[in-house]
Amino acid sequence: MKIPRLTTLAPIAVLVVLALFPLIGIPLSWLNYLFSFFIYLALANMWNLLAGYTGLICLCPHAFVGLAGYTLAIGTQVGMPFQVGLIAGAAVAAVFALVISYPVFRMKGIYFAIGTLVLPEVLKQWFNYWQPVGTAYQGGGAGYSVVGLAGFSLENKYWLALAIAAAAIFLVYIILRSKLGLGLTAIRDNENTAASSGVNIFRLKLISFLIAAFIMGIAGAAYFIHNPKIQPAGGFGISWLLLPLMATVIGGEGTEEGPIIGAAIVTFLRFLLADYGAWSLFIQGIILVVVVVALPQGIAGLLRQVGAYHLPQKLYQAAKARIHRT
Amino acid sequence: MEISLAGLAAPIIKGIFLGGLYVVIALGLSLVFGVMKLINVAHGDLVILGSYLAWAIMGWLGIDPFLSLVVGVPLFFVLGFFVQKFIINRTFRISLDAALIACFGISIVVQSLLQIIWTPFNRSLLTDYRLVTFAVGPVTIQLRYLLNFIGGLAVMIAVREFLRRTYMGRAIGAASQNEPVAERMGINPNRVYSFAFAIAMACAAVAGVLQGLTFSFSPASGPPFLIISFGVIILGGLGSMAGTFIGGMIFGLTQTLGAYLSGGSMMIQMLAPYLLVFIILSVRPQGIFGR
Repeated sequence: MKIPRLTTLAPIAVLVVLALFPLIGIPLSWLNYLFSFFIYLALANMWNLLAGYTGLICLCPHAFVGLAGYTLAIGTQVGMPFQVGLIAGAAVAAVFALVISYPVFRMKGIYFAIGTLVLPEVLKQWFNYWQPVGTAYQGGGAGYSVVGLAGFSLENKYWLALAIAAAAIFLVYIILRSKLGLGLTAIRDNENTAASSGVNIFRLKLISFLIAAFIMGIAGAAYFIHNPKIQPAGGFGISWLLLPLMATVIGGEGTEEGPIIGAAIVTFLRFLLADYGAWSLFIQGIILVVVVVALPQGIAGLLRQVGAYHLPQKLYQAAKARIHRT
Repeated sequence: MEISLAGLAAPIIKGIFLGGLYVVIALGLSLVFGVMKLINVAHGDLVILGSYLAWAIMGWLGIDPFLSLVVGVPLFFVLGFFVQKFIINRTFRISLDAALIACFGISIVVQSLLQIIWTPFNRSLLTDYRLVTFAVGPVTIQLRYLLNFIGGLAVMIAVREFLRRTYMGRAIGAASQNEPVAERMGINPNRVYSFAFAIAMACAAVAGVLQGLTFSFSPASGPPFLIISFGVIILGGLGSMAGTFIGGMIFGLTQTLGAYLSGGSMMIQMLAPYLLVFIILSVRPQGIFGR
């Protein structure tokens, strides 16, 4: 019988242990922290797919999150089950990405960044005035509540978030080992050369953009199932951009393990600084600047540089050599 | 709604005057972008920092916001010099993306700092001439908008003369035209970057005062100004002062005419500049007069 390698077994084991957490009576506050961690993890992974592997500095995750959250909220207001709203939200985010893809992909590099930065601002203004359903006290700046969530316990939300995060990581894993991933990294490294080598730039960028929008949307909608109230300032808030950006940059852009490390750090910071309001953002901003200046490859890059991944192997060999000597 | 020529005159004049403010904001962004090809995404927040500084000095010493610039401009100049020297120049060596992310970090830091020091409430620079109006023929002009226009013109001429007449100004011009050649002529690019950023910050200080006199501001008002001024520089073309000036006017007009023609809808007034930026970017990504 072929024995699976440790590298394939370990993630499955971690996943199983994480999935068992609610059953073995872990404190509810921990489930809460982990829920946020999973949501941030999914967002960071998708941002990494765009920035680290496709070369698209996309400054509009909050557009996807906000749209998905609003679709979910408005959908449940008109009587849609929230499970349908969740998928519908992600679908709306993906459709939005499809609609904007033609104009934004005409822009390159820094223009793309600013072009995408404009979109959430426009959406925020729009949702500040738009009142599709509900009474005069709903919609606009007051926002909507997500209703019909009775019976959906924290455990279920936890599993939902875990599934989304696992799917996001697995998706990036698959993409990077496929022809699509090869094409994407070629685009990142040099768009013109990639085009002249027969890579269909627009199509590949569009595919990764749509995937990212869908997953970011579903992660955002899942967040609003847990925190069932959405307002323009919260749904389209800049923190939805800051989170995945910080997680990716701190962890290491363009590495698979980077967003995981980064998301853990960002979640930790969030809850550590939760009581300090603006100070929290201030400290996060400082950390972001310091990391960009001092650790441009992020923590994952640093670990690779010092050879931390080969450490167990080295220790094992050193121990073996020692046994042989005695 | 009736659209008459006399009715149109008011928003047109207001738009052109408002454009002066956008010109001052865009000049700083344009200088940095011209030399480094970097969009300083913190620029809008630095403008608001300028507004708050003037507000604080006004409250403390009770002097006119324009007099506070005597302190504000040199302070911003020095601050900009060191921010560029110690943060952006270092990230710039890594990649343009890293520099962009560093600027984003600075923007977050400035925004939250404003909120910590001055709370998230709306402020405005209340001077006794803020609400002064005077009539020219059938049109009523608000003095604060006229000040924007005068300020925009003055800053533009000052920056232009600096770029033309001083050694550092010419070095900035040379570096933005062709950096490798400029470097071979003995120009230190890092020094040029630092000075360009410092001047951009000085412009932001002036823009902050003009902005504060015209609108009310809160720590979160920065990003809209960033997007508008980005629109102005891509509309006007890089390195062209006159282009920036015209771009500013067009944006001012879009906002006031958009509001007028839609019957004073706040939504149109807010959305019009964003949509204009997005349309320009998607039709001509390199800008209307871009190279």
